[in-house]
Parts: sequence; structure tokens; C-alpha cells
Amino acid sequence: MKRSPLANTMLWFVLIMGTAAFIFPLWWMAVVSLETPQRAEAAITGSAGISLFPPSPQFANYANAVRETGSVPWMGFIDALANSIVVTVLVVLGTVVSSSAVGYAFARLRFRGRNPLFLVMLGTMMLPGQVTMIPLFLLFRQFGWIDTIMPLVVPAFFGNAFFIFMYRQFIAQIPESLVEAARVDGLGHVAIWWRIVLPLCRPVTAICAVFTFIGTWNDFLGPLIYLHSDESATLAVALNGFKNQYGGLEDVHLLMALSVLTMIPCIVLFIAAQKTFVEGLARGAVKG
Amino acid sequence: MANVTLTKVGKLYEGDGGATFRAVDAVDLAINDGEFCVLVGPSGCGKSTTLRMIAGLEEISEGVLEIDGRMVNDVPAKDRDIAFVFQNYALYPHLTVAENVAFGLETRRTHRNALVAALTGASTARGEESAVIRARVAEVSKTLGLDALLHRYPRELSGGQRQRVAVGRAIARDPKVFLFDEPLSNLDARLRIETRTELRMLHRRLAATIVYVTHDQEEAMTLADRLVVMHKGRIQQNASAQECYEKPANRFVAGFIGTPPMNIVDGHLKAGAFVANGVSVALGAEHARLGDRACALGFRPDRVRLVAPNAPSSVSASIAAIERLGDRTDVALDSPWGRVVARLDADATRALREGEAAGIAFDAAHAHLFEPGECGGRIVV
Repeated sequence: MKRSPLANTMLWFVLIMGTAAFIFPLWWMAVVSLETPQRAEAAITGSAGISLFPPSPQFANYANAVRETGSVPWMGFIDALANSIVVTVLVVLGTVVSSSAVGYAFARLRFRGRNPLFLVMLGTMMLPGQVTMIPLFLLFRQFGWIDTIMPLVVPAFFGNAFFIFMYRQFIAQIPESLVEAARVDGLGHVAIWWRIVLPLCRPVTAICAVFTFIGTWNDFLGPLIYLHSDESATLAVALNGFKNQYGGLEDVHLLMALSVLTMIPCIVLFIAAQKTFVEGLARGAVKG
Repeated sequence: MANVTLTKVGKLYEGDGGATFRAVDAVDLAINDGEFCVLVGPSGCGKSTTLRMIAGLEEISEGVLEIDGRMVNDVPAKDRDIAFVFQNYALYPHLTVAENVAFGLETRRTHRNALVAALTGASTARGEESAVIRARVAEVSKTLGLDALLHRYPRELSGGQRQRVAVGRAIARDPKVFLFDEPLSNLDARLRIETRTELRMLHRRLAATIVYVTHDQEEAMTLADRLVVMHKGRIQQNASAQECYEKPANRFVAGFIGTPPMNIVDGHLKAGAFVANGVSVALGAEHARLGDRACALGFRPDRVRLVAPNAPSSVSASIAAIERLGDRTDVALDSPWGRVVARLDADATRALREGEAAGIAFDAAHAHLFEPGECGGRIVV
């Protein structure tokens, strides 16, 4: 399709403005992370203008940020990073495994009350997290799970309504004869799910894994509620330490530096998984 | 290899409001070891359901199914030692051709190994078994000419190649019984005929028991040792293809088997002559013994002769359409007996023109008589 030069210019203008609007906060975060403490504080409080490039980049800010995370130099960061990785990996694993298994059951098994159950499950999506927060806290306290990662990780192994829905829709499209062929070949339901269905669900799994990863990695409220001690904090909570510890904004350059570091895995993962999303979409389109 | 016996097997589906639908009705069938048995019938006749009950993919509502003398009604599909070739092939898209062919062997090995390991506390000869599986895959792929495709994925194969892989997957396991559910219907016409011949040769080489479902009566006739014609959930005839053609058990089989289909006319017998719509044709002395009765008369297109209009013992007609097929010609005629098709030698029909008048004659010895009704039985003269 040929567009007129004017339309092209307009299109580019809109796209560039949109991109700039989304990029700017991130860019500014990176800029502040490289400023001197004084300039960073001035930029945040608004007493000085916003600069698009740091006049003298302070790369040492990154080392300082890592060192000063938590209460023990260096180890605080390592702890927080390890906690974040453990929680995130377990939550992603649990969500993918449980959601795909439940999605398979809803899509392929015939059992009494399947449709009402499915509706109930979808209904749980309508519940705001704030409503269940306090009852859940009380429950987990009863279990003695406070200040452990259990309250963050265990629920993931019981499925996520939205991803169950996605898996169910996807699995329902897989030809019945594939499942039957697997039955004839000697597989039971668990093996069919694991060896046939799950590999075919790659596009859904990619979406489920990436969104769960980003959500968990960046989750602040959950760890803040359940993890109290310094050693059990995740990166998102440790970041907040820069503010709490000193009250003011004198360490905002370190906060920004650590924020940049925290963001990196999400960006890398997203770019890596993008290919699978697209591949999944393309394969669906040309299926012959 | 094994024989398969169905005794009064039926399939009931519960409809809405407690109504039941009988998809398969009291099917009695004994398939011998090494026999190529074809179930044929129009769609919805219960042939696929019957096959799926043999496979264990569908529960058996009534009756008894035996494979190799053992009742297997409640045995799960995986333990019946059968292989199933699906209409859409059902190849695992995420596995290569080699992995697809080996899949059934691998899963069986896993089960057995788990058992052996549990009993002896050692996982014995895993590598040895892998080698056996590899050899088997190589052997099967050679048989089917899949060697060059072993590392491809199903999406990279043509329809005919996928079909071969599906057959390969079935052969690799060396099952007691092969079950085919319309395996050729997704292929184009030429490939279908080629593959049909190959399947026939494959059957002879493997000496396998095969149950094969198709709606294509020509495919059914060319493949079958035993042809089972089904309609409305019941077996209409169970005989050799030749017998189904020459001595159809009832009117349905007569109309279903053979192309173009048999001409069938409703009327009645009167003093040895068949009368329909006021036009009567004398059949013979032996037909007179049947008395006067309502019946249907059938005669195959290739038994029709065209004679002069108003010739004795003929039905006057006009030529509605002429289809020239090279060596032979199909002529459709409009007559008081309705539309009649004649299949004639091409040389004899060169002078024929559409719209001309002609007389329809046939040899009474090759005519069939059936009781009235859709599935009216054959009347033996």
C-alpha cells in the first residue's frame, strides 16, 4: 500500500512521539543513575532542570548501589538477587505446570460439573487482589509461613485463572486424534499432557512464562507483606530500602542505578521470548 | 497377528432428554487372522464407531469384543496391542519422522523398563533397547521409502508422505491388528489409487490382520478380502467383494456397491413378468414360480443392451445424456421406469446422439429381485 508523503510524515510523527513518551521515564532513570548525588537529588526534587545526558557520568554509582543494598555490604545484593531468582523461577515453573495441567483437564477430560467449575474458576478473576489479601495473610500466618517464600510460591502451583483459560482455549484446538493416537501409543493422561500437549503449547507457555516472570520479578506488595527480615527480601523490596533507610532522597542515584540493574533480566527475557510469540502466531496462521 | 471377533456389539449414545441413539446395532463379525477386512458404508452408518470400539477409543455399550480370543471390552486402547491410522494422520507435530515412528516403541519400553527396574532394581540394557528401536525404525522407513525424510518434521511433508509416516508408525510397533480410519481420503485421486495398491501389497507382505474403514466403495472393493457393508448401524452384507457385487444381499448393498450404481426399479411381478409404471418386461419361466408380488428389479448398467425402440421385451426410452469415457460410454436414459444408466462399449455407441429414442433391454439371468423397502432382501430365483 502506498501512502502519501504527508500521511507518512504524520505516521512517523505519531510513532516517534509515542515511543518517546514510553522511553523517556526509562531514559531519565538511566540518566539520574549516572548523576552525582547532588545533581540527582536536585533533578528529583525539581530544583534543577531535567538534563537528557549526565554531564559527568558516575559509573561508580552502580558499584555503590550494589554494595549498599541491604544491611551487609555486597551480600545484601546477592541475597536479594538470589531470593528474587528463587521466587521467580518457582512461581514461573508452578504457574506453567499447574495452569497447563488444569487447562488440559478442562479442555480434554469429561467430568461431571466441568462447565460450572470452569465458570467458578473464571469468576475468581473478577476478585480484586485487595479483597483476598487479608484473609490470605491470616491463613498463611496460621500455616506459620510468614517470612518464608511459601506464601509467594505455593499459590502459583495451584494455577492462575487467566493462564488456565489461555491454555484451555489453545489445547481445545489441538486435534482430538493426536490425543487418541497417544492413547493408542500407550500414554495416559499425565504423559499425554507432558509429552504431547505441553510441547505443542509453546506459544502459550512463552506468554505465560514471560508475563509471570515480569509480574513476579517486579512484585513489590507480595514480598513486602510476607517477607520481613532483610535476608529474605527480594530485589524489589531491597530497592525500597534505599528510601526507607535514609528517609530522604540523598541516595536516589543509587536507587535508580539498582532499578536499572533490576530491569535488565525482564528486558532480555522479553526480547528473547518475542521470537517465540511471533513464531507461534505465524505457525497458527499458515497451518496446513 | 490375531483374529478379531465382535458378538452383538452395539453403541448407544445418550441424547438430550434421555433419548438414546443407536449408532451401531448388534454387529456380529468374525475377522480371521491375516484378513483384510473393509467396513464400508455411507457417512453415519456406524463403520467408524465400530472401528473406534475395536480400538478402545470408544466404549462398547453392548456385546462382546474379542481380540485373539481374549475379551477386551474393558481393556484400555494402549493394552489392546492395536495400531490406528487416523484420517488426518495425527502425527506428532513437534517430533521428527523418526521420533514419530519410534514413539510407540519408546513408550512401551518406558513402561517395561520401569517394571523391570522395579523388580530387579536395575535399569537393564537401556542402550541395547535403543539400538533395537533404531534398527526397527530404519527397517520400517526403508520398507516405506521414508529414509530421506527421517529428520524432517510433519509440517515439512506432503500429504502422501505424512500418510506413509502414519502407516510407518503403525507398522513399527508390530501390533496384532491394524486399524485404518479412512486413511486415503485426504489424498488426491491419483495418489489415492497408488497408495491403495501399496497398502494391498503391504498387507500381503506383513500378513497382518487389518480392519479398514472407508466410504469409497471402489477403494473398499479393491482392498478387501472381506467386505462388510454397513448402513444405519447394521451390517447389510459380510462377504467377499465379488460376492457383494454379484449377489448383493439386499437392495441397499446392490445400490451401494458398483459404479455406476445398479439400476433399481420399484414394481411388481405378474406371471413371470416385471411390471412398473404400466410397462412390463417378461423375465422367464422360473420367475413365474415366484407368484405375483410387489418387488424391486435391479440390473447393472453393464448388463443393459440398447435395442431398437419398441423392440419386444424392452422398455422404450430417450437418451438423456452420453458420457464418453474412452473405452466405454455411460448412457443415461429417461424411461417409464425412471432414469436408467447403461454402460456400453465405446465402439457400439459412436452413432448415438442425445435426444434419440432407444429401447432398454437386459438379460433376465443377470437381473436381481429384492423385497420392497430400502433394505429389502434379495429374492432368490
